[in-house]
Amino acid sequence: MNLIIRGIITIQEITLLIWRVARGVFRPPFYLREMIRQMDILGFGSLTIILLTGFFTGAVLALNTGNTLQKFGVQSVSGQLVATSLIRELGPVLTCLMLAGRVGSGIAAELGSMLVSEQIDAMRALGADPIKKLVTPRIVALVTMAPALTVICDMIGSLGGLIATIFFQGQASSVYISSSKEAVTYNEILGGLIKPTVFGFIIAIIGCYKGLSTTGGTVGVGRSTTQSVVVASILIIAVDFLLSKLIISLLLAP
Amino acid sequence: MANKFHAIEFKDVSLAFDDNVVLDRVSFAVRYGESKVVMGGSGTGKSTLLRLALGLIRPDSGSILIDGEDITDYTEEQMMEIRQKIGMVFQEGALFDSLSVYDNVAYRLREQKARESEIEPVVMRMLRFVDLEDAVDKMPNELSGGMRRRVGIARALVGSPKIILYDEPTAGLDPITARTICELALKLRDLEEVSSIFVTHRLQDIEVLASEYVVRDDFGNLIFEHEGDRMCLINTKFIMLKDGNVIFSGSDKEMRDSRNPYIRKFIDNER
Repeated sequence: MNLIIRGIITIQEITLLIWRVARGVFRPPFYLREMIRQMDILGFGSLTIILLTGFFTGAVLALNTGNTLQKFGVQSVSGQLVATSLIRELGPVLTCLMLAGRVGSGIAAELGSMLVSEQIDAMRALGADPIKKLVTPRIVALVTMAPALTVICDMIGSLGGLIATIFFQGQASSVYISSSKEAVTYNEILGGLIKPTVFGFIIAIIGCYKGLSTTGGTVGVGRSTTQSVVVASILIIAVDFLLSKLIISLLLAP
Repeated sequence: MANKFHAIEFKDVSLAFDDNVVLDRVSFAVRYGESKVVMGGSGTGKSTLLRLALGLIRPDSGSILIDGEDITDYTEEQMMEIRQKIGMVFQEGALFDSLSVYDNVAYRLREQKARESEIEPVVMRMLRFVDLEDAVDKMPNELSGGMRRRVGIARALVGSPKIILYDEPTAGLDPITARTICELALKLRDLEEVSSIFVTHRLQDIEVLASEYVVRDDFGNLIFEHEGDRMCLINTKFIMLKDGNVIFSGSDKEMRDSRNPYIRKFIDNER
């Protein structure tokens, strides 16, 4: 029973946080510089791990499916298979899981230690709103940078697939590329962009919420950090299922 | 009608976190230009008092007046205006780790969108006041504990607030550095006529705050003097908290003469 009440309180607090962000987002001051700084730190800073993740995912996808496709004599569609899997599913989910691990944890740790060292109180005492100054820039940064990183992940993943097909399946690059092109439709891309936008929001809001609700000093910061990654990751995977259903029925229905 | 006699006034303020009663119908007032030294053991709600005065948390019941205004039901936006009158010195300084000393002190002015040409002289003046001009480009993690508190004081003084709240500014410092912090508080009390709440549990602080004062001589030099036997400082008063209640309120002499066993234990233990 206690667990249920705690769950409801958590949902209420997160909703309240979202409401306070939404209410303030169109009212000055805007802290544009801080937003751009966060985009750089959270977005551009994650580029390397996204490149590596994307490349190897695409490559291993081509490798694993190559043999099966060969059995049916349709090796020529491996480009399409890799591109579709990446754009629809693996690109958004893997990118955002990596972001939850790297960035979500960082947000929770940073805000958590600011809270326990009274820096958040000091900020309010000095006339700044921590929601606007800390939470909003991080949400904006992740909502914009997560789709951008996903696109990069999709692209580099297709390249990884191409290289794997050329070297291990002995396929001509032109076959792979033309088959890939067939998979890339506008609706696919749109669907593939909606997901990371939502996931980016989830990562930022969970990271901020966990950070700002830290209790119990330094140990609490560690706990918040871990929880932010766990909760954000699970939410991403659960919401991914719901979004997939929605996108398939709205955008990709034949 | 605003009652303009007190810089800070608490009326029957109660606060509890879940079942834990932190403050139970606490009332006291700080006159203009007065320093109120709040004492009490750990966990008696001393810091909570300051957070309430700053509007960071709200009381469950009772009312709080700052400069004659009842802030109890103020929204966060309204509180922002009130907070411009108040400077807060946090326990460990609470400096922003990611900002240099200069940027920390300049924080409030930056929030008010002041021009850089206006910010610089103010920041340098405040750092000169706490004698830390040389540390202007340092980051907080390069500073010692005492320096962090002093930067915290400089940051709180930007905008010349007439009310300053000190949250155990001397805790964990060596006696010499602690004295420096107390001298800063004296300078603000006696030369700038700042009203303040000074939370502490160190008897040495109480000694300094209750019996010394600072004057400026004809050449502009600061002189710290002891009150001696013939006079008694009236601008510093004490209150003692225990279990969320005010168990003592008065001057240092009255406190030393008190028969209350808790106060006796407090005073004698520190010796």
